[in-house]
Order: sequence, then C-alpha cells, then structure tokens
Amino acid sequence: MNDALLIVLAASAIRLAAPLMLAALGELVSEKAGLLNLSLEGMMLAGAFGGALGCYLTGSPVLGLVTALLFSAAVAALQGVFSILLRANQIVSGIGLNIAVLGLTTIASRTIFGRNAGFTIPGFGKVVIPGLADLPVMGPALFMQSGFVYAAPVVALLIATLLYRTTAGLALRAAGNEPRAVDKSGASVIGVRWLAVMVTGLAAGLGGAVYSLADIHTFTENMTSGAGYLALAAVIFGRWRVGGTVVACLVFGVASSLQFQLPALGVDFLPAALLIMLPYLLALLAVSGLVGPQSPPRALTVPFDR
Amino acid sequence: MTTMGDILHRFAASSAGAVVLALTAGLLLMSALAPSLPAALSAFAQGAVGTPYAIGASVNRAAVLALVGLGFILAFRANLTNIGGEGQMAMGGLIATAVALRTDAGTLPLGLGIVLPALAGGLAGGLWAALAGWLKVKRGTNEVISTLLLSFVAWWLVYWSVHSDALLRQPRTSSTSLPESEDIPSSAILGMLSAPMHQGVLAVLALAVVVYIVMAHTVWGMRLQAIGLNAAAARRSGLSIGGLTIGVMLASGALGGLAGAFMIQGEQYNLKAGFTSGYGFDGLVVGLLARGSAPAVLLFALLFGFLRSGGIGMEIAAGVPSAVVLTMQGLVILAVAAAEFLRLRQARRPA
Repeated sequence: MNDALLIVLAASAIRLAAPLMLAALGELVSEKAGLLNLSLEGMMLAGAFGGALGCYLTGSPVLGLVTALLFSAAVAALQGVFSILLRANQIVSGIGLNIAVLGLTTIASRTIFGRNAGFTIPGFGKVVIPGLADLPVMGPALFMQSGFVYAAPVVALLIATLLYRTTAGLALRAAGNEPRAVDKSGASVIGVRWLAVMVTGLAAGLGGAVYSLADIHTFTENMTSGAGYLALAAVIFGRWRVGGTVVACLVFGVASSLQFQLPALGVDFLPAALLIMLPYLLALLAVSGLVGPQSPPRALTVPFDR
Repeated sequence: MTTMGDILHRFAASSAGAVVLALTAGLLLMSALAPSLPAALSAFAQGAVGTPYAIGASVNRAAVLALVGLGFILAFRANLTNIGGEGQMAMGGLIATAVALRTDAGTLPLGLGIVLPALAGGLAGGLWAALAGWLKVKRGTNEVISTLLLSFVAWWLVYWSVHSDALLRQPRTSSTSLPESEDIPSSAILGMLSAPMHQGVLAVLALAVVVYIVMAHTVWGMRLQAIGLNAAAARRSGLSIGGLTIGVMLASGALGGLAGAFMIQGEQYNLKAGFTSGYGFDGLVVGLLARGSAPAVLLFALLFGFLRSGGIGMEIAAGVPSAVVLTMQGLVILAVAAAEFLRLRQARRPA
C-alpha cells in the first residue's frame, strides 16, 4: 500500500469515527447512570437537522452549531421525561422518539429547504494545524480535519474527568449500579440521571452536527442513517469504558472507511457488506462476553422510583 | 367519586386512548401541511380503502405486521422483549427466496413448492431469534441489545446476498440489471384470495388463533407466563427457564421469519436490500399496543396497515409527505409508553 492511499484511508477513518465518538462518549455517561438511550439516533438526527437549519437561517455555522445543540438537547430532555420522570420503558420510548424525529425532520426539511434539497449552507471548513500537518503520512490524516475531529479527544477527556474525577461522577456511576445506595447517601439519583441524559444530548448533537456542518454542507432526509445505533454498539464493544469506547469508534471508523477504499486497494474478495456489519458483529461478541467479561451497569434500563 | 380527571386518565391510559391522541396530533400536523385538508384526507382514504386493490394491499400489510406483533406478544409473555422483528423478517425473506430459487422445491406436488420456502423462512427467522435466546441463557446477554444488533447483521446479509453474483444476485444481462435476486418461480408464489390479497392472510388468521390458544389454554403458555411473572419462583418450582427462553424466542422469531417469507412470496416476488422497510419495527409497535392480546394484535395490525397505505396514497395524490404517518406512529408509541405510567399510578392509588 502506498503512502497516498494510507493517508486517504487514515484520514477518512478518523473523519468517520469523530461523530460516532462524540455521540458514543455522551451515551456512555447516560449508561453509566443507568439510562439506555436508543434515541441517540434521534438526538444525532435532530442535531444534524438543527445545525443545517440554524446555518441556513443565519448564515453562520457557529449559530448553526448552537441550534444543533438546542435541538438534540430537546430530544434528550424528552427522553429524560420518559425515562426518568414517567419511568417509562426506555427502549420503547427511545424507538418512539427516533421514529418521531425521523418523521418530523423529514417534514420540516421538505417544508423549509424545499423538496429538491441540493441547497448548501456555509458550514465549517478544515482546520490545518501548522507544522503538525506536514508530518509524514499521519500528519495530513490527523491534522487536516474539521474542528469536530479535534473536539472528540477533548470531549473524551472532559467526560473521563466528569465520570472519574468529580463527586457528581461518583454519584452518577453509583446511580447506574446501586441507585438505592445513592439515594440513602443523600445524593439525588434523579438529579444525576438528568445531568447524564443532558450531557448525552449535547454530545450527540455535536456528533450529529458533523454530518450537516462539516462533512457536507447540507441536510438530507435521515442523514445520520443509523450512526446513533452504531454509537450504541461502540459503547457495548468498548465495554462501558471511555478508552474502550474511543477505540471501538476508531475500529468502526476504519471498517467504514475500508469499505470505500477496498476497490482502490484492489481487494475484491472481501465484500463491503461484511465490513459494514463488522461493527454490529463485534458489538454482539462483546455483549456476549466473548471478548472478555461484560460489565454493563447493573441498573441499566431500570427506572428509579423512591 | 369519579372526577373528569380520572376519566381522562383512564382514557389516556388505554391503548385506544393513546392511539386517538396520536392520530389527532397527526391530523393537526396534516392540516398545517396540506394545501387542502379535505383533499389530503380523501387521498388518504383513497389510498387506504378507496379501491378493492387498495384494501387488498392494506390487508397484506396488516398480515405482515400481525405476524411480527404475534411474535412479540408471545415472547413478551415470558418477559422477553424481542425487538428484532426486522432482522427475523429479513432472514425469513432471504432464506425463503434462496429455497425457492436454488432448490427443486417448485417441482414438488401438493403445494409444497409454496409451503417449503415459507417454512424455511419461518425456521430461519426462528433460529435468528433463538440465537438471542441462547445468548441470554448462556451468557446473560440482554435480548433487547442482541436482537437489535442481529437485525443490523441480517439487514446487511440480505444486502450482501443480492450484491454477490455467487449468492442471489440476478444474472447481469445488461448494464441496468439491478442488485436484486431473480423473481421466484410461479410455483413458489402464494395463491390469491382476491388480488392482490394473498392466501397468507388466512394463515395469519389461523396463527393468531393458535397463538391465542397456546397462551391462554396450554401448559406451555402457562409456563411462559410463570417465568414472565416471577422467574425465580418458576425456577424453584422446577421449570426449565433456559429451554423455555430459547423455545419461545424460536417461536417468536419464526412468526417474524414467516412474515418476511410472505412479503417475498405474496407481494414482492424477488429479494431486494432493505425489503423489510421498517415493517419489523411497526410490527413491534402493534405487539406493544395489543398488550398481550392476540385479537388486539389483528386489530392494531389492520389499523397500521391501512395507515401505511393511506400515507402512501396521500403522498402521491395530495403531495403531503408520508412522513406525517411516520410521525404519527412515533407519537403512538410515545403515548403508549406514557400511558403505562398513568396506569401504574392508577393501580397504586387506593380505591
């Protein structure tokens, strides 16, 4: 394999991994607190749509990003109402939210942007880091990316700090394992779960905005097309750890990017479909405990009722 | 004393109430979007029940949804949430197509040419779900996560099958040959009751009766309910939780697999990537709404079958996006999820 091809492969793997990583790290926070958000897909889609809408109306990518976060946070708040306030089935309400968000963004997109999408918005360009981008091979792959790619490791650090270096994080992780004990200690299970679901919403919105504001500067119906489910799989494959989740997303990014680059590499014995299903197979292996013990939070999907 | 609030609560806490609320919201959405609401509604009605053809197509849709819904309530009886109907349908359609195209089943007498692919499809869907049951028993894997992941794998297996020349892709006769399978032979196609309504509809009615009887009047059904209500107590009383879990997932998935086979053998006649187009998830909703009742599954399946047809008609004739119907379905699910809370609160309140 020559360098040019390797650069293309690595660059696209990292570009594809970034939105997954942002959303998956957000979802990790919720799951640590005992909440499973199948609506992660809906949050990302709402983020992608909000980003495009804000940018379309104001012409400013920054305001687009703000709108993206508002939209995804709204979906997260709704999920919180169902999971935390109403103690509804988290899976059912998550699927319901995904379907409703898909329907609403499709309708809104046609009403506002018109039937023949084809519109473009300003969006964010690539940020070239001077000096580092000139490094051989990995320089261009790592340091000529959109701002979202650089944001991903920062978000990973922030979330690791939140989970493992703060008292809120301690209560949050305990709420996912022993909610009764947290309640007895005087901390609020409900409170930390709300914190968790809103963090998820913001991170997923950031991830969703990558699609409309950075990858291509427009919105298409069902733009995220399952990225949220892939991010959910990444949390499982990452065995509910920050580092594991990051690695899982990178693996998924490489698999997705290979699927586009394989023909260029002259490999035709490996069907692209196999690579696309690889993340789901890996997650399945992980959740079956076949790649080491599985350690989901014990109170995952269990509503808390004082 | 019954207050207005109580009545409202009770109304909203029933599935019917949830559906009515969601449909009302959908109607409001429609009136905001349609240039003319009467025109949109008439297009909707035309698409759903306007012609004998429309009715037949809607009933076929309902049959598919009913099978997935029946599978859902069966597993749910044992407190297992099978959300993988989409994947079980995909496997059913895939294997039914493979048997119809790649074996000599079509030359067999007594309608075996139709029955064998359908049974193989059912078995494939059943095994796909049983895999999730097995993982649950052996590794403690949450079936919600595994059935969902298995659905994605199945989706891409179908995609792979119709893109690979070595598998089911039709011969490339021209540059326009699509990545789809060939049409299945006519010996594998379901007979028509009244075109386009196919005989699979009768099988669905029969299976609804079977599921009803199994759940309400058989020892196996009682055992499912026992592990559903209290797995620990059921285990102490000597029931084989593992066997029942795998068995009921097999049965649940088989109904989904049969739904996939019927879609191919009754309507589409060849395999395409993504041919299940969300019916598995709609069927899951039907199962949820029915709250464990087989007759209610049929009712809600009909409602959703007609809704889908109406939505398509509305999009074509009145230019209202069928996403309105999608949104309505999402709202129905959310309303049902919320209704559960009201019901629980009611149950807790002293009489």
